[in-house]
Amino acid sequence: MSEKVEIGPFHTELEESVYFKLEVDKNRIVENVEIINGFIHRGMESLVTKKNFMQNLILTERVCSLCSNNHPMTYAMAVEQIAGIKIPLRAEALRVIADEVKRIASDMFNLSMLTHIAHTHQLMKDTMNTREHMQDLKEVIWGNRMDMSSNLLTGTKYDLDERKIKIILDTLDVVEPKIRDLQERYENDEQLKSKTVGVGVLPLKDALEIGVTGPVARGSGINNDVRVKAPYGLYAYRPEIQPNVSLSLREEGDVHARAMARFGDILEAVRIIRDVVTDMPEGDTYVDKRPHIPAGEAVVRTEAPRGELIYYLKTDGSQKPVRMRWKVPTFTNWEALKVMILGDKVDNVTMILNSIDPCISCTDR
Amino acid sequence: MNIEEFNNAIKSKLYGAYEIKEDVDHYGNDNSWIILHEKKDMEVIAKAVKAFKGRCVVATGYFNEADNTHTVIYHFDIDGMIINVQIDTDDKTVISITPILRSADWAERELREMYDVEPIGHPTKDRLFLDYSIAKGVLNEYISLSKMQMGVSDTDVLWNQVNKGVKA
Repeated sequence: MSEKVEIGPFHTELEESVYFKLEVDKNRIVENVEIINGFIHRGMESLVTKKNFMQNLILTERVCSLCSNNHPMTYAMAVEQIAGIKIPLRAEALRVIADEVKRIASDMFNLSMLTHIAHTHQLMKDTMNTREHMQDLKEVIWGNRMDMSSNLLTGTKYDLDERKIKIILDTLDVVEPKIRDLQERYENDEQLKSKTVGVGVLPLKDALEIGVTGPVARGSGINNDVRVKAPYGLYAYRPEIQPNVSLSLREEGDVHARAMARFGDILEAVRIIRDVVTDMPEGDTYVDKRPHIPAGEAVVRTEAPRGELIYYLKTDGSQKPVRMRWKVPTFTNWEALKVMILGDKVDNVTMILNSIDPCISCTDR
Repeated sequence: MNIEEFNNAIKSKLYGAYEIKEDVDHYGNDNSWIILHEKKDMEVIAKAVKAFKGRCVVATGYFNEADNTHTVIYHFDIDGMIINVQIDTDDKTVISITPILRSADWAERELREMYDVEPIGHPTKDRLFLDYSIAKGVLNEYISLSKMQMGVSDTDVLWNQVNKGVKA
């Protein structure tokens, strides 16, 4: 005899609105799962066709808050591709710095949520406190703790001088040992392991078939990091700064593996920021000419904290896009939840959901 | 892997004519386009992508008002190489590739929901994002920005439901 359990659309253990309809057996094992989405659907793909290219830079930054830098950056890259604009190398470097700072803050937020749901509160507090250094850094350099507003259609709005570079390096010096300490504690903490090891397993075969990306893919042993497979920006010009993905790859495919994959990503982000700020290219931070955007189409990808972000842009020579489409990592990672949740305990459902670091705002759009 | 290798794998298997546009992005990454003229050729492409251990990243649809057709572009990835495969449809249908590439599942469902383009043979009929009270193909419609931003509705459906709840 199965029992019906419903979680959501609003629930204390859910970061955003989603609705699970589960059927569980007498041992509380999930036998069937139905997931209902769309609670945060805002019709943004339609909205962007009513706004001009400059306005869309602002709008795309508001698709989501945790990966808010990736959307305008990828959108700007698509516009630049159509307009045939190559941005200055210094701007490419500045984009990478902003991107990797956001990656650290985003991944650490997800790890905090994991430990919150696992009731390992000291770990949660220490992770959040470490993340606060990155939030403070964003406030100091970009003037905001979430939306950094760092991108222009032809480069970046911000620049770094010696004083700001020192602030970044000092912050990384403080943060890195704390992250390494947390990495060791997450790897060995018995309470956390008892709740995450062997939970929500995504086997390699399913991961490949579903096409998951980001830490979800790396937690199941797949390397499809865009920064390595199709390098863009400074990752293309300076291959030595590309992340060493082997530090993030895990074979287990469970909740714990996905968390540890994020630690690999975070530590590589620290390394990348250090490498870039200590060897900044000279020159302008943007092309000082209003871009003419002709008719055309472009497909551009970047690696957001949660995985691959792709933008398609079609223009007709007017001031507004004809069609703009984007796909965020959660769009594909979401389908993997059904594999992860089926056969697991109902008590683990919200933890498994958290382990894909879902961004519902991004996915629903 | 490059587009030439992929072309060699598909050229003898396609039913109809096709065009191939080799391209690279600003950073030298392959970003090629294939334009198909025969709907069932998308299945051939999907099988070739699967054979190369690739995936469907997403699909883009849009409505062409001038000739009342829809364009559908599937974006595939094979080990970092993007291949964009385009097909036009004048009867609002495409052949679903989800039975071949599971990764196309949501992309095709969203295509059905937003543009009312039916992926024939898709295993799921459920809505993905929008409620059933919203007609399929809502992105085919012209909706003004003011209406979009204010959420002004043409119907009394919402208030009828609210009133029903109040009376109950």
